Amino acid sequence: MAVALAPPATDDNLMAWARRRLFSTWLDGLITVAFGALMIWAVARIVDWGVLDAVWTVAEKDRCREVDGACWSVIGARGRLILFGLYPHDEHWRSTLACIAIILTMGFSCIPKFWGLRRLPALWVAGFAIFILLMYGGILGLPVVRTEQWGGLSLTVFIFAAVVVIGMPLAVVLALARRSPLPVISGVANVIINFVRSLPLLAILFTAAVVVPFVVPDWAQGDKLVRVTLAFALFFACYQAEIIRAGLQAIPSGQEEAASALGMKYWSRVFDIMLPQAFRNSLPSTINQFVITFKETSIVTIIGFFEIMASGNAAVGTGEWVSQFVEVYVFVGAIYFAFVFGLSRYGAYLERRARLTHG
Amino acid sequence: MSRNLILGLSAAVLTAGLAAPALADAGDTIKTIVDRGTLRCTGHNGSYLGFAEVDDAGKWTGFDIEFCKALATAILGSPESLQIIPVSWAQRFPALQSGDIDVIIKVTGWTMSRDTELGLQFSRPYFIGPTNILTRTELGAETAADLEGGVFCINAGTSIERIVADYMGARGIQYEALNFEKAEELRSALYGGRCDALAGFGPFLAATRFNAPNPDDFVIMDEVLALEPEAIATRQGDDNFVDVINWMVSGLLMAEENGITQANVDEIRANPPSASVERLLGVSPGMGDRLGLSNDWVYNVIKAVGNYGEIYERTVGQDSPYKLPRGKNHLWSDGGLLYSLVLD
Repeated sequence: MAVALAPPATDDNLMAWARRRLFSTWLDGLITVAFGALMIWAVARIVDWGVLDAVWTVAEKDRCREVDGACWSVIGARGRLILFGLYPHDEHWRSTLACIAIILTMGFSCIPKFWGLRRLPALWVAGFAIFILLMYGGILGLPVVRTEQWGGLSLTVFIFAAVVVIGMPLAVVLALARRSPLPVISGVANVIINFVRSLPLLAILFTAAVVVPFVVPDWAQGDKLVRVTLAFALFFACYQAEIIRAGLQAIPSGQEEAASALGMKYWSRVFDIMLPQAFRNSLPSTINQFVITFKETSIVTIIGFFEIMASGNAAVGTGEWVSQFVEVYVFVGAIYFAFVFGLSRYGAYLERRARLTHG
Repeated sequence: MSRNLILGLSAAVLTAGLAAPALADAGDTIKTIVDRGTLRCTGHNGSYLGFAEVDDAGKWTGFDIEFCKALATAILGSPESLQIIPVSWAQRFPALQSGDIDVIIKVTGWTMSRDTELGLQFSRPYFIGPTNILTRTELGAETAADLEGGVFCINAGTSIERIVADYMGARGIQYEALNFEKAEELRSALYGGRCDALAGFGPFLAATRFNAPNPDDFVIMDEVLALEPEAIATRQGDDNFVDVINWMVSGLLMAEENGITQANVDEIRANPPSASVERLLGVSPGMGDRLGLSNDWVYNVIKAVGNYGEIYERTVGQDSPYKLPRGKNHLWSDGGLLYSLVLD
């Protein structure tokens, strides 16, 4: 006769839960106590440094030498420099609005309602037009601000958005081309992808910014920021193409064959059957690539663009604030975190949504 | 990012660049500047303490920036006609060769390889950059020899590493080197007591001392390990442009020799004490027409940025946070290495 086992214990109160999860053996208890103490100590140190011992206002900045805590005065004094870079001081409102415009555009294109071959491009064209109009000016009485003076958060967000928007369609084209049965097309895509992937991003950007003016005649050079953004987009596209190709390969070949048998044309097979599934399959890696790209925008500092990391460095690069680099890095880090964390949460939402609609 | 990697990359890019035919025409840079209406001068990708910094309102300031302003004023009559193009260290030479900028004023040492292989033309030096030693006051060391056996903190991958090794090796002084990649790490190590001394570029040491929890704990020794003459770089083959730059530097020094300052330049111009000052400030012709500039360009420059000493004290010297002693950057009459050319 089978012995009836007791049902699994239920955590009906906090004490029972803690006893079962944290203190079930003496070793568990020891580890819990040790790590608990470590966490409390670490949090206390951070709160001490960042809040309790900190100096908050610019007016009190002279106290920064005396206290052990953070000197947030630097953010008050240099915050605008960090956020706007070299953008003319009186025109900062334009940079703010432009930045909001591009962030809203990114936000809207995350909403499934806007996904469509007409709506999405229309949204992006509008978003970028507003951004460039505000940032560059030259009409409606707005003074012209050359791209060399663009900087800070709006430049970081602009480069990221432009790279993704230009790179994504390019990636789809490269991925499809690489799967093409025609050897010339797949061969060319293959060479492009492997060539670009084997070069460091820094070298590609440096070439676009610095070498192109040597080899291309003046009229064909375009703006340095445009060249760099296009080169960055190409780099992004080559990685993203492989991610999409992986997504395409995960689809059983029977699907495409069945669609062909039904008489569906190539573009219809691609847009209605293959790509939607490929994107869903490659979602985690795609979000990963977005996150990497957002963080890699800081590399443009090496060719003289004042994105937010460079303007952060400029903010501490004056005698008065040299010691406050930790505070500035924390501030810039928090901004990066907000964007990247938002991206990962959005990725998680998309994955949940994909499961709900296609169980 | 290590300095070596950047240098290597820029060398590679330059080699590729020089092989290509589309080098910017060295031709008549001044004409290009006048036609454009602006001078395109070097800034920094971030900030280089005391030499190129960005103030709270996003405007460029610093020793190098003042020289950019002076040059813009000399050629175009107003410091407002200056465009600062932010460029990184690695980018400065290719950017000049491609015509993206007109001139490099960016604490750039006059070295033989740059002068010959990179196709640059240097002006006379406008700043003498010393490599010094910063040490703890409590050690009581007067010279490098007193630091025998001590720990030196050094910025990895820079020329400082070699300079210290050469200097100490030649004198048979034993020391232990502790290398750091970033300036912040270097400073933390020093403040945290991990090193007895910090060797580096004078202005950098001055900033390090200024930012110490207690600046009096540290002292910069008078001893100079090496001097690097910093000069203004232009494309090879534009003699007139180099002449203008040389006389611009000279004009700033001549103004200081004659006690002409931003504040009193109008007064002195009204009553010039000598014929050469008369010529310098454009009361009588000679200073401008021979260079293809207006005769009162030195007056405009002094009015805009002051004389050499004023620029120095305002940006890196006693009126700045860095309080870098002028040392070798004094006029010859005050024990330094700077002198003006002869205005005849």
